[in-house]
Amino acid sequence: MSTSLLDVRDLAVRFRQAGRDVPAVNGVSFTAEPGRTLAIVGESGSGKTVSCRAVMGLLPPSAVVTGSARFAGTELLGLSENDLRRHRGADLAMVFQDPARSLNPTMRVGTQVSEAIRSHLPLDRSAARERAIELMAMVRIPLPRRRYADYPHQFSGGMRQRLMIAIALACHPKLLIADEATTSLDVTTQAQIMDLLLDLQAQLGMALILISHDLGLAASYTDDVIVMYAGGIVEQAATRRLFSAVRMPYTKALLDAVPRLERPPHSPLPVIGGRPPDTGALPPGCPFAPRCPSAADRCRQQAPPLLEHEPGHRWACWFPCENGDPG
Amino acid sequence: MAAEAGPAPAGPPAQGVPGDHSPGTAQWGSAGRAVLTSPALRVTGKRLLSAVPVLWGVTFLTFVVMNVLPGDTAQELLGANATPAELQTLRLKLHLNEPFWVRYWHWLSGAAQGHLGDSLVSGQPVTSILGQRLPVTFELMIYTFCLSVLIAVPVAAAAAYRPGGLVDRLSMMLSMAGLSIAPYVLALLLVLIFAVNLRVLPAIGFVPLSQSVVGNIKSLTLPALSIGLPLACFYIRLLRADIVEQMQSEDYVVTARAKGVAPWQVLIRHALRNSMFGFLTVLGLNLGTLIGALVIIEPIFSLPGIGQVLLQSISDRDVVVVEAVVLVFALIVVFANLLTDLLYAVLDPRIRYGRPSA
Amino acid sequence: MAAPLPDTLLAPGVAVPAPAGAAARRRRRALAPDILIPAAILALIAGGCFLWPLVYPVPAPVGGSILSAGLPPFSPGHILGTDPVGNDILSRILYGGRVSIEVGLAVTLIGLVIGGVMGSVAAYSGGIVDTVLMRVLDVLIAFPALVLAVAIAEGLGPSELHVIWALSFFSVPAFARIARAGTLRLHGQTFMLAARLSGTKAWRILLRHVTPNVLPQLITFGLLGMGVIIILEGALSFLGLGIPDPAPSWGNMIALGQGTLSAQPVLVLIPSLFLLATVLSLNLLGDALRKRWGVR
Repeated sequence: MSTSLLDVRDLAVRFRQAGRDVPAVNGVSFTAEPGRTLAIVGESGSGKTVSCRAVMGLLPPSAVVTGSARFAGTELLGLSENDLRRHRGADLAMVFQDPARSLNPTMRVGTQVSEAIRSHLPLDRSAARERAIELMAMVRIPLPRRRYADYPHQFSGGMRQRLMIAIALACHPKLLIADEATTSLDVTTQAQIMDLLLDLQAQLGMALILISHDLGLAASYTDDVIVMYAGGIVEQAATRRLFSAVRMPYTKALLDAVPRLERPPHSPLPVIGGRPPDTGALPPGCPFAPRCPSAADRCRQQAPPLLEHEPGHRWACWFPCENGDPG
Repeated sequence: MAAEAGPAPAGPPAQGVPGDHSPGTAQWGSAGRAVLTSPALRVTGKRLLSAVPVLWGVTFLTFVVMNVLPGDTAQELLGANATPAELQTLRLKLHLNEPFWVRYWHWLSGAAQGHLGDSLVSGQPVTSILGQRLPVTFELMIYTFCLSVLIAVPVAAAAAYRPGGLVDRLSMMLSMAGLSIAPYVLALLLVLIFAVNLRVLPAIGFVPLSQSVVGNIKSLTLPALSIGLPLACFYIRLLRADIVEQMQSEDYVVTARAKGVAPWQVLIRHALRNSMFGFLTVLGLNLGTLIGALVIIEPIFSLPGIGQVLLQSISDRDVVVVEAVVLVFALIVVFANLLTDLLYAVLDPRIRYGRPSA
Repeated sequence: MAAPLPDTLLAPGVAVPAPAGAAARRRRRALAPDILIPAAILALIAGGCFLWPLVYPVPAPVGGSILSAGLPPFSPGHILGTDPVGNDILSRILYGGRVSIEVGLAVTLIGLVIGGVMGSVAAYSGGIVDTVLMRVLDVLIAFPALVLAVAIAEGLGPSELHVIWALSFFSVPAFARIARAGTLRLHGQTFMLAARLSGTKAWRILLRHVTPNVLPQLITFGLLGMGVIIILEGALSFLGLGIPDPAPSWGNMIALGQGTLSAQPVLVLIPSLFLLATVLSLNLLGDALRKRWGVR
């Protein structure tokens, strides 16, 4: 639908390393709508972070990006750095995984928030300061006026992540991408941050993209889910539908691997054998075939295409699961 | 001369003991209080104490070297025609016959009280010699230091802005050549170009500040450039590498870009700011090199500084003067390094404000 | 269905694609220009200084006739001209170069061996040995090296050997510092622990484990340091404390040319050029190796 806020089509990313091309993302397409939350789920190396950074234009110069990423009608890929900079922070923003390293340790936090404001809005220093304090209050940082002049190391992990969110929301962007934003936090703080994000989303009417490896997170907080593997999308559906009718054996394996209280004690934790593949040296056929419990010869020879087999539910598998059982 | 290519600059010194600040005390006025009670001062205090044995070691070493080396001060002073009797009288007068330890103790106890003795050669009190000559050397030292930093920082920033670009490659090539030139060679080349051919700067001679500010600066420019330029080249390479590393591998740089901060601002307000810490350490470490170079450069430009005095005193076996000058140099180096540590404590908020609060 | 034997768990984080075939590319780049060119220049200069006079007759570097004084370059029989005393400049450059290279190599090797061993042993032993060494190094570092070198050279009298002694005094602690830092960095690593636990004798550990790991740092530092040493030797000779007149050294040639700087700049420019070429090549080579070997 061309009315989507973010419309990504056939996005592909290769890294040029000393004459060799290493593919990281192989043609992904997804959309993000205002007010809705999309989860991009996958193991490390699946290409989820690279895809989103490609949209933001934050990849190193060795990256070659092809495809299309339209934001509110404007094509982002191929924009000059200057033009892209104007969108970054103002229209689309990103929150990163490690708030300890993502904040400048030698700059006061308030200044870092104000900087985000003043990069786009023509406010003077005191006006930006006021707005920054408002933002800090919005993300529920206690005593924001006093803490404006503090440094990042004087905050706890959860607080730092709130600061990152404040920075990201400084100019009320229409799209927020949270890249493993809660991974480095403890479970309680995680829940708090997620609640905060959803509240803010409702308040500001933003589109939200959550990148995570945590299926539980995806299940609890999102409207749509994309599962990525080896640089490509392998399953895509509305959240409720995906988790009630899992098709891709990979997704099923991911679900099974989540530790559950209902399991009998001392039962071995099911894991997916093998390791995530090297996207630069993919075998022919389905990339998951080497690790798939229901892989057959066809899987190893021919890569299954990503097709909308059921309305609103796409997957790429020759032998999808039926009602929770492997195909 | 090329400054010593030692290991890459170390980061800021290890953090002190967990601080005792309540959250949110970071108002402007509390900065002073923070420094005074901070663990950083304790660290600095410890460093101050350990500087004392170092200074002692330096003076002791100098004394040993000066006395172990062959050569007789009395002979030097009176010349080849001196009779044994004259030599003996002079030796007695200058206490040259007393055992090594006695003489050293004499000197050390006097120095601790601020009496640095009199020149064996001229009889002039060393403190007055220092008073006359030291300001010139000091001024040259500061001028050189400032010059090297003022050249290095903008060039490094410009080079780091676009790694692999034209400015970068050009400045890397030129800086590599620049730091391979010996200061005394550069001095002569600069004199050839600017004094002999272009006639804009003097080849020799010193104009005191009291006489003319412009003349003073002009008379010190070529000497300062001779040392400062190779040093700047060294700094450029180091700083550029650090900035580029910050820009390419630090997460907060990605955050800054994601915020939509302009590229130049990202470089200066984020990357350069954090590179300065390592740079500070390097500046401190290279002070010894700077001082050593002064000793050769001053005679070339006939500057009435400490360098010439030192060389002459070594030649004359004037132990007293040599000791005093070496002590001054060592003091400068030691205190410069202490200042660096103190600056860290003040500038690096991680040290200044101690451990994180909830 | 039964889960296969687990051998890995899902891990979060962003994976960076790793290029394959890095080893092959490294092999191909063994003779990269950034290493080859400075090495070739150094070989040329060293070869020229030591071998040319043996192969091709050059006038003696000393004892020139006053009749042929002050000739410009490209004069017949004196391709680089002559100095104010009548000596052939090319010959003085070659023989002077021998001095610089000998001093540079000698001091570097002395520093590398003695300083390297001292630093490694001190770091490995730890405790009082290490502390004492650190204090001594602190003292030597606080001391402006040149001053002491001047004092030693002055005291012992100008000669090539004394210059080597004087400069070794500073090259040893410099190498010791590098070796110590490098050894300390290895100390905590697992393979060191494994070696100690297996009962290997200390000297064997130092030889077979520490040395190969610290050697790249020492070598690159050595190359960069050699440039510094050659410049320092030049400085000492420049001050008249190095190679005694009339024997040539690049340093004292520059000093000699200082008097006629405006009239005959070549006297300063030619030795300066050789000095620059040598030190620059050493720096380029050291830098290239440092990048290649991943030394900090």
